[in-house]
Amino acid sequence: MPLNIVVLVKPVVDPKAVVRFRPDGTIDRSAAKLVANPYDKYAVEAALQLRERYGGRVVGLSMAPPQAADALREVLAMGVDEFVLLSDPRLAGSDTLATSYALSAGVRMIERKLGKVDLVVCGIESSDSNTGHIGPEVGEWLGIPSVSYVDTVLDVSEGYVVVKRLIEGGYMKLRVRLPAVLSIAGTSYQPRIPTLRDVLASRRKQITVVGVDDIGVDPSLVGLAGSPTRVVRMWRIEIKRKSKIFTDTDVDALVEKFLEELRKDGITLSR
Amino acid sequence: MPVDFELTKEQEDIKATVREFAERYIAPKAVEFDEKQEIHPEIIREMARLGLFGVVFPDKYGGLGLDPVTAGLILEEIVRADLTFSLAVAYLVQTSWGYIAYKYGSEEFRDEVITKAARGDLWIGIATTEPGAGSDLVGITTTARKVGSEYVVSGEKAYISGVREARERGKWFEYGGGHVTLTYTDKSKQHRGMTFFFIPLTDPNISIRLEKEFGRKGWSFGSFVLNDVKVPEKYRIGDEGRGFYIAMEGFDHARAYIALACAVGGKRAIELAVEYAKQRKAFDSPIASFQGIQFQLADNWARLEAAHSLAYKALWALKMEQEGKIGRFEVTKIAAAAKLFAVQAAKAAIDDALRWFGAYGYTEENLVALALKAVKSYDWAEGSLDIMRLIVAREVLGRDFVSGRRR
Repeated sequence: MPLNIVVLVKPVVDPKAVVRFRPDGTIDRSAAKLVANPYDKYAVEAALQLRERYGGRVVGLSMAPPQAADALREVLAMGVDEFVLLSDPRLAGSDTLATSYALSAGVRMIERKLGKVDLVVCGIESSDSNTGHIGPEVGEWLGIPSVSYVDTVLDVSEGYVVVKRLIEGGYMKLRVRLPAVLSIAGTSYQPRIPTLRDVLASRRKQITVVGVDDIGVDPSLVGLAGSPTRVVRMWRIEIKRKSKIFTDTDVDALVEKFLEELRKDGITLSR
Repeated sequence: MPVDFELTKEQEDIKATVREFAERYIAPKAVEFDEKQEIHPEIIREMARLGLFGVVFPDKYGGLGLDPVTAGLILEEIVRADLTFSLAVAYLVQTSWGYIAYKYGSEEFRDEVITKAARGDLWIGIATTEPGAGSDLVGITTTARKVGSEYVVSGEKAYISGVREARERGKWFEYGGGHVTLTYTDKSKQHRGMTFFFIPLTDPNISIRLEKEFGRKGWSFGSFVLNDVKVPEKYRIGDEGRGFYIAMEGFDHARAYIALACAVGGKRAIELAVEYAKQRKAFDSPIASFQGIQFQLADNWARLEAAHSLAYKALWALKMEQEGKIGRFEVTKIAAAAKLFAVQAAKAAIDDALRWFGAYGYTEENLVALALKAVKSYDWAEGSLDIMRLIVAREVLGRDFVSGRRR
């Protein structure tokens, strides 16, 4: 069964670059180079592997200013078929609620074009704000199931997707009705490095820029106006490390001292 | 002179892609190249998949049709990740001599061999040097006799890169590879009697012998003996009698890339040493705060930055030549000057950088130490530094002043 997959990709400030902060504590994005959110590249890889297995189409969807389009070229080079970029000054200042609302409208717009969307995939979080909200919130707006921390997509058939989901100390196997939203954890899907031929060809692939009116969202629910979240203050946190040095010639006594220290901190080790 | 160092969007994309590849696949293994004396075949295959062995070949033959400047940007990322220079040799020899083989090869040769090389299924090396002739190429003794529709080649080539990788099918390259090999078709005409052939090293009438190279050990280095090797006419690279001139053109390409590799390798060595010098303390201060290190750093950095720019000027000159905008000898002069300067700048910088590490740096696991051994090879490889001096002097003074000529 060929799958229509939408992959959500956020352009972020290059995590490898030196980040500069403005005096108010916000990131100075003006000079920063934008790249595709590294976590989203695992989702792109998952989408491409699903397309290789089942056929279909992978459409990228992003919300960012128009100059962020360059950052999307690398995922087009990886093999994403086309890209839709939601770009409108009215979207500026959106928090995750407003962003997920706009993105869900973007998914519906793509659906009108492709007929149906079977899967929406995204990274578990973004490398710049790390909320992890977007996947589950898009699922809510669309009224479809969402699964976070997906390690592997095991099977897609008969209207269901079977996934392996990471949980603390193990994993769950879930069977979920399609369409669904999956947040891919970066473990099983190592993003491919595109060939130089594909890199060069990516500049010829289409990025469709659409605005608030094209996707038909309520303007009062996006941008700063539609965002209940307010950033009150940003500050630098310092994590201070403590160290204690124990000396003893008897190793057993040394280990006992160490365990005692852990117990004081409320950590008990079972054998 | 208008100057522009800005990269195009495509060049930035290519550079970013190769950097990601190099950081993920090459850098973690680079020390092992010298230690194991071979490059992991999966790295070569991944490079082939990315298209890195076909960058300068035209699209028609499966290449990317990139110009020498863009090919240089790729080389930078390879060198930064591998200071043993093993992969730099693999890449730059194919990129320069492969291009020459394409440029002067027959259409049949291009369809058969260049298409494989562009896919990274075959490696193209260079073989001019012999046990008895290096700088003085007229002294070579390898000969090619025309017999019917083929040539019969006999002789010995020495200190040649990639003989093992070209000999062995399937391990690094599906078809192994071959070397663009300089021969005499008419010894009496001296340099005007030389002819180039592409000779597959998989031929049973060729035997190879490996040397224990001093550095850049990941890519083999050795000699091969040709014992009446039959070479089809379609493998002749250029016309009979043109071998010497084609060799000189190929050297220009290789020297420009080598100059870049040395400048970038030197800069990377300085970067690694700077990281160390900021951490390492002596006399209660980081050693980076001492002027003894700062002055060395400044001198070396300035020379390397100059070498880097000159190397790109040489690659740009090759591009201009391809576009018919500047002449052969101008390119030769700039490429020779670039190699002359960059090799010395890199050796001095890496030597100083290694000294900052103290005894800690004097191991086979320190990339800076491996880099020093690697750049040392360019005292000779693809033309000795004194030959570079002769070329620059000849092109500046004019041919009436060629050293040693009777007047």
